[in-house]
Amino acid sequence: MTPADGPSGALPVPPDGTGGTGGAGAKGADDDAWQRVHVISPLVRGWIVLVAILYFVGRDWFEGLFSAETRGRGPLPEGVGLLLAGGVLLAVVLLVAGAFLVSWYFTRYQVTAEHVRVHSGVVFRQQRQARLDRVQAIDIVQPFLARIFGLAELKFEVADAGESAVRLAFLKLDDAQKLRATILARAAGVSADPDHPEEVVEAPEREVVAIPPGRVIGAAVLSGMTVALVVAAAVIVTLGIVFDTPFIATSFIPLLIGVIGGYWSALNTGYNFRAATSPDGIRIRYGLLDTRAQTVPPGRVQALGIVQPPLWRFKGWYRVTVNVAGYGASASSEGQARATLLPVGTRDEVLQILALVLPDPGTRRPVEVFTEGLVGKDDGEGFVTTPRRARWLAPLAWRRNGFAVTGTALLLRSGVLWRQLVVVPHERTQSISLHQGPVSRRVGVSDLQLQTTPGPVSARVVLADSATAWQLFHGQAERAAEARRRSGPEQWMKPVQAVPTGAAGPVTANEVTDSVGAPIPLDTSAASDTSAASDVPTASDVPTASDVPTASDASAAGPPPADGPVREVMPAVPRYVPAPSESEVSADGPR
Amino acid sequence: MRREPIDPSGLEWSRVSPKYLRVRVIGWLIGSLVWLVLASIPLALRLTGVWDSFPALWLAWALPAAVLVMSVWRGVLLPRQVASIGYAERDDDLLVRQGVFFQRTLVVPYGRMQYVDVAVGPLERAYGICTLKLHTAAPATNALIPGLPAEEGTRLREQLSARGEARLAGL
Repeated sequence: MTPADGPSGALPVPPDGTGGTGGAGAKGADDDAWQRVHVISPLVRGWIVLVAILYFVGRDWFEGLFSAETRGRGPLPEGVGLLLAGGVLLAVVLLVAGAFLVSWYFTRYQVTAEHVRVHSGVVFRQQRQARLDRVQAIDIVQPFLARIFGLAELKFEVADAGESAVRLAFLKLDDAQKLRATILARAAGVSADPDHPEEVVEAPEREVVAIPPGRVIGAAVLSGMTVALVVAAAVIVTLGIVFDTPFIATSFIPLLIGVIGGYWSALNTGYNFRAATSPDGIRIRYGLLDTRAQTVPPGRVQALGIVQPPLWRFKGWYRVTVNVAGYGASASSEGQARATLLPVGTRDEVLQILALVLPDPGTRRPVEVFTEGLVGKDDGEGFVTTPRRARWLAPLAWRRNGFAVTGTALLLRSGVLWRQLVVVPHERTQSISLHQGPVSRRVGVSDLQLQTTPGPVSARVVLADSATAWQLFHGQAERAAEARRRSGPEQWMKPVQAVPTGAAGPVTANEVTDSVGAPIPLDTSAASDTSAASDVPTASDVPTASDVPTASDASAAGPPPADGPVREVMPAVPRYVPAPSESEVSADGPR
Repeated sequence: MRREPIDPSGLEWSRVSPKYLRVRVIGWLIGSLVWLVLASIPLALRLTGVWDSFPALWLAWALPAAVLVMSVWRGVLLPRQVASIGYAERDDDLLVRQGVFFQRTLVVPYGRMQYVDVAVGPLERAYGICTLKLHTAAPATNALIPGLPAEEGTRLREQLSARGEARLAGL
């Protein structure tokens, strides 16, 4: 099995007889032409219908065999009857296949410089058009059967919270990847090379996190499902002994099915999980049977949540989920997996993912601040917690409930058993509300909620001192406005000088000494330039001093010919660096 | 209007039309009446002898009485509730506040606005007021301003649209 983004498998792909199949961006002038998805996609999409028909017919026939012995009737109708039955079956199958084929024929798509358009429907026609620069995420999904045929589905998400704006099922994997590269390049505002407009190359990427399968299994075992299983087992056994009814043990069966289903879903969506950084944003891939490769362009993460279930504390594991406008708040396991940026990771990996999402943490002590947010309590590193007078309202969590403000994001900390840290970039705040009930008013505390797009992350500060909460409310509105003014363009590569940092091509010695190559550790070897410039090496729009020579070295070393757009430059891995120990004063206070 | 503890200071809140109170009172009367009738059904059945097995007479009386007390309490609160609704247009954002016991103050930046709804029901139309709702990309943003005079609603809608366009920030 090839991973979702691997080279197109050696699996046989039937020759497409239509000529209009796939081939996104394959023929320059034809780029704007209407195209169809792969000709066998109706089969891949409709196989379940065919299987269902065959199952029902086959079951009748099979049961007929047995009833023939018992009742002395022929298992199949003979002569004309046999022909008739076969004919009806064939007609039904042909009809279903024909319906899928017609639906396939009438579904066409087109990618222009600014839009992606899809026309579909036979009787009720639908014409859909989505702006490329409104892209929130692009997924390439390979369901198991599509993988066998070397096909993939491309999902183009805009901010409508849920249903994919454009779903192209199915394309050849190669074509899907090319199309994704084309869409991302155009969405990024990269102007195509006038000589070779068709040659849109996939932006290079660098893997930063890979999760071993063992840890995924461990995480599932240590999750709440296991606790529930053990508790339920204890209850069932106790009941069985007390009431002396061994039959109660049969209630294990649905329980086991549920728990095994949960384990399977955790394994299927966490298996082979990899996160990479690229100029087109964060790219994650995962999947055991169904594989999925997601690309979230820069600035599309609306809020990020880091959770630690109680049992994961022993291993120091965390889960990172995000709100992305295109993903919505789906309760299905697929929807949850899509919104998961890291299913189970160590603290270093979490910080690494945070550095990808938030290249500029807005503080000089990012490692300390985020660690405090993950595991800390009381008012270290600029966190403001629930006032002591309100501790009876949250006897366990009052020392942990709190918030901290950095130059670029608001950090909300909560939870004692289920530890949680929510990070909301200032420019992503949709609206803020301040709540106060009668009891809170007595104690002089308020709750503050930041509304973000639908998703698993909910950002709220509970039981903050009223005056502080109001200051935060007011200040946050201003910071959000200020951050929006400073925030980059929707087309993340529009300005020419917005050079992503780093060097081109494969890892060079230069980069290794620059500590860019090794993915995980929060290396201190770059600390010198950090302390000097107060600027953590970032992949943001501002090239840091240390990056400029690197980039020029790379171009001198001879990048591959005809790579016009800077998008093809291998990205540096943004990484948080612990503050040097001598700087004892944290640069960021609350507000 | 008394200043509430979580109100931002230095702000002039625009209050909604007093006609909105009348609309709310009419709605409250109708609602209360319907609930009262529903809650009185067991009592009526008991008194007419159709349903003799009703546990106790006091329970049959208590049900509508409880509904009545709740309704009166809500009615008493209504003027304060309506008076507590306020909105303020600042340079960059719109503030909306509401609530007497459970207070809420909401700030929505103009650039975050996706679209504006102005809705008018039959009662509201009779009194010449409307309800304005501001939508952002977050469904949880509940920026609802009821009881605006019709012309104020139109003005606010145009104003918000213009300001939203000027400060458009995508997502």
